[in-house]
Amino acid sequence: MADTLTIRTAGIVTVQDLGRVGRSRYGLPANGAADQHSARVANVLCGNDDRAPLLEITALDFACVPSGDILIAVTGAPADVTVEGVVRPQWEPVPVRAGETIRITGIHRGLRVYLAVLGSFEAEYLQGSCAPDTILGFGPPLRAGDTLALRTACPPIDHPFSRIPLFRLKAPVPPFPTSWTIDVTDGPDRAEFGDTGQRLFDAPFTVTPRSNHIGLRLQGTVPRRVTRGEVLSRGVPIGAVEVPAGDELLVLHRGRGVTAGYPVLAVVTATGLSALGQVRPGQTIHFRHRTLPQAITAHRAQRQAIDALRTRVRTAFEALRIRAPAEA
Amino acid sequence: MSSDFTIADCGDSALVAKAVGLDAEPAWRLVHALADALNAVRLTGVHDVVPTYDALLVEFDCAATDHDTVRRVLAHEAARLGPHPAPTTPPRRFVVPVVYGGEYGPDLPEVAAQLGVTEGEIIALHSGSDLTVRCLGAPAGAPMTDGPPFPKPVPRLASPRTKVAPGSVAVAGRQAVICPMPSPGGWPLLGRTPVRVLDLHSDPITAYRPGDTFRFVPIEPQQWDEYADLALGDLANSVVGHG
Repeated sequence: MADTLTIRTAGIVTVQDLGRVGRSRYGLPANGAADQHSARVANVLCGNDDRAPLLEITALDFACVPSGDILIAVTGAPADVTVEGVVRPQWEPVPVRAGETIRITGIHRGLRVYLAVLGSFEAEYLQGSCAPDTILGFGPPLRAGDTLALRTACPPIDHPFSRIPLFRLKAPVPPFPTSWTIDVTDGPDRAEFGDTGQRLFDAPFTVTPRSNHIGLRLQGTVPRRVTRGEVLSRGVPIGAVEVPAGDELLVLHRGRGVTAGYPVLAVVTATGLSALGQVRPGQTIHFRHRTLPQAITAHRAQRQAIDALRTRVRTAFEALRIRAPAEA
Repeated sequence: MSSDFTIADCGDSALVAKAVGLDAEPAWRLVHALADALNAVRLTGVHDVVPTYDALLVEFDCAATDHDTVRRVLAHEAARLGPHPAPTTPPRRFVVPVVYGGEYGPDLPEVAAQLGVTEGEIIALHSGSDLTVRCLGAPAGAPMTDGPPFPKPVPRLASPRTKVAPGSVAVAGRQAVICPMPSPGGWPLLGRTPVRVLDLHSDPITAYRPGDTFRFVPIEPQQWDEYADLALGDLANSVVGHG
């Protein structure tokens, strides 16, 4: 029988991956890990495919216990990570023996922590992804007592000298500030806001509690549309900054409906979206204007850092005789 | 580049092509044919296309491709298609029962007042002609159709609802929609259909495609249960008796 991972303390935790690709045309949003960078790094640190299922732990304390020996990686927001009471690092692979309790508590500065397991675990799929879709009612949060079937057995991790693997893989860790700078480029409809479009950059915005993976609602001095008239529904990108009504700014995130009828003032960059996936209600955001080449360069640098990490992980795993599941 | 559409940057990971100078029908035909063509060439890095009424959103990974490449391929495919691409699949017709007004369509009186007609006239116009599905959109693959031939566009609600019941039939601007799943919504609600819109166990999860048509048929509240076990897919090319 396959080994399992049993959830002991659930908090808010879901099975995630990088999201549903190629289904926007059927009206289905991408969804997937709100902080794509941290999720990707967690899987890479376990030698997994970037798209393997992992856990997204939001804000609240979490604990789980494996029935067999496993290797995990915990990324995302700063937190206290312990294995059987011993403090273990984030952003590095961590071996866990059968029956030891993994605890993630005190999530702070950011909102979401990612936990990947070498070999990953079985997950239910809808339209090519295990990412929850709250509108469809797919992928409910996990509860205490739930078990996940681990996909591959992980033999005890053997170190040639000490038997205690010490990883120094230098994963690319993004900043987790108390006040966030979020990069945006001009949206296709910026002209519809006239001079008020500049308000996006003039003063900070505060994230309200009515924010989730579908979108974040921000309070501040909002730009105003200077044109009127009906807009036919059309596809809007993840990251679209809109001013639907009232005194709130709406920033669409990965669970956004694929069509909308509001003008798009700005679009959060790919790297900015991962950061935005970590902003907590009550924290402030400063938007920073970027050109497309600046935004693309930042995204490519972040991906190249992950590619380089993947190579270091492979080398380390070979030295420790850990069979990387992605190549199994 | 073809003169029939413009292409604009839409952030670091998307472009939006919009048909210009074309009537609604050829504009719609063009953006959907362009989406098919782009899918067919399987351009590295492009992962999603969203053709709607007169626009096409193209989403890509800007680490794997770039705006110029996608732009060039779009322009090439548009030139190859020409201005009047033919439809690729024969349309189907769905006859959809709807209970209008009351708790089923709480905004019916308000919409009638705004358009200066009676509630009965709103129902007659909404159910009086076949409405073409133009795209699948939000929420959850909702069928978005042309609006009924109302005298003028319908304003959106000043304050959106936090929860709209599944099967709700809504209108806004010159568009109409069925909301498949419980979700927030800012479109005025005229009525509600008892039939199930989505099937999560089929692929795609929707029975309808752009180009198909919907004909709404008024039924009485007491007829609700007669249709409650049906899925929209069961109603393709079907006939529903008037209540």
